[in-house]
Amino acid sequence: MAIKGGGFSRKSKASSEVPTSSLADIAFLLLIFFMVTTVFQDDRQRPIEWPEAEAAEKIDEKRENILNIWMERDGSVFINDQQTPMTDVSSVVAPLYADSDRRLVISIRGDRNVPYRFMDQVQKELVEAGVVRVVFASQLEQSMQRARR
Amino acid sequence: MSVLNKKRQKVSDEVPTSSTADIAFLLLIFFLVTTTFPKDKGLAIVLPEPGEEAQVNQSNILHLIVQPNGVVDVRRGESQQVQQMRPNEIEGLWRQEVAANENLIAAVKTHPDAAYEYMVDVLDALHSANAERISLQVLEN
Repeated sequence: MAIKGGGFSRKSKASSEVPTSSLADIAFLLLIFFMVTTVFQDDRQRPIEWPEAEAAEKIDEKRENILNIWMERDGSVFINDQQTPMTDVSSVVAPLYADSDRRLVISIRGDRNVPYRFMDQVQKELVEAGVVRVVFASQLEQSMQRARR
Repeated sequence: MSVLNKKRQKVSDEVPTSSTADIAFLLLIFFLVTTTFPKDKGLAIVLPEPGEEAQVNQSNILHLIVQPNGVVDVRRGESQQVQQMRPNEIEGLWRQEVAANENLIAAVKTHPDAAYEYMVDVLDALHSANAERISLQVLEN
């Protein structure tokens, strides 16, 4: 009875190929990791209806240099999710503006139905704080919608 | 003939998983490439410096008075003649007026009770017409 393979010609069982069987697991792990860790900027839920503008442009400034001022329909003002009395806006904004090396852009996020008197007060407060660059945040309006109006 | 019957079938009974890695990496790259972070959009203006007041000749001012119902009263300089317009007509008006007088300044005066969106409509029209000299005020009296 012959011994199969013989004593000396036995081949090594170590594979010369790179093991790729776990590659799929690694890829799916990465995929799931990115899906789970991605967080979208989450501002506190505010009952705001955006005004629409066709000429709205992206704010050309780094995110850390943008300060959002929220204006609700009743005229209440929120800066960084903290309610701020209208008369305190300039004293809150001025130090932030100085810290940013005068690069701060104020994004006024007002409800479309805010009476203009509140907007005017906020603008006057911002002028007092020395702020120069202001953006009225709005949604991009499609020109077809505009024509229908 | 019994040898033929014993020949094993070569078709594998396992689900082929060799391309799963490719699929997963494709998905990963797809999501990495297509993810866009929302960037804020809006109408930019430049506020005056505190205490900065400029004297402007009345003939260089186009008064746009936004009424609480959204109608815009247009008045040129010192003239008392008022023309009523809808915000979307202002773009054409501005292009026409600025062609006649390139030093023109748009003075947008909004009624204190008018909704903010009406002011944004007017500002939008002015931005669409490439207006650069815009002054925002509240309507007094």
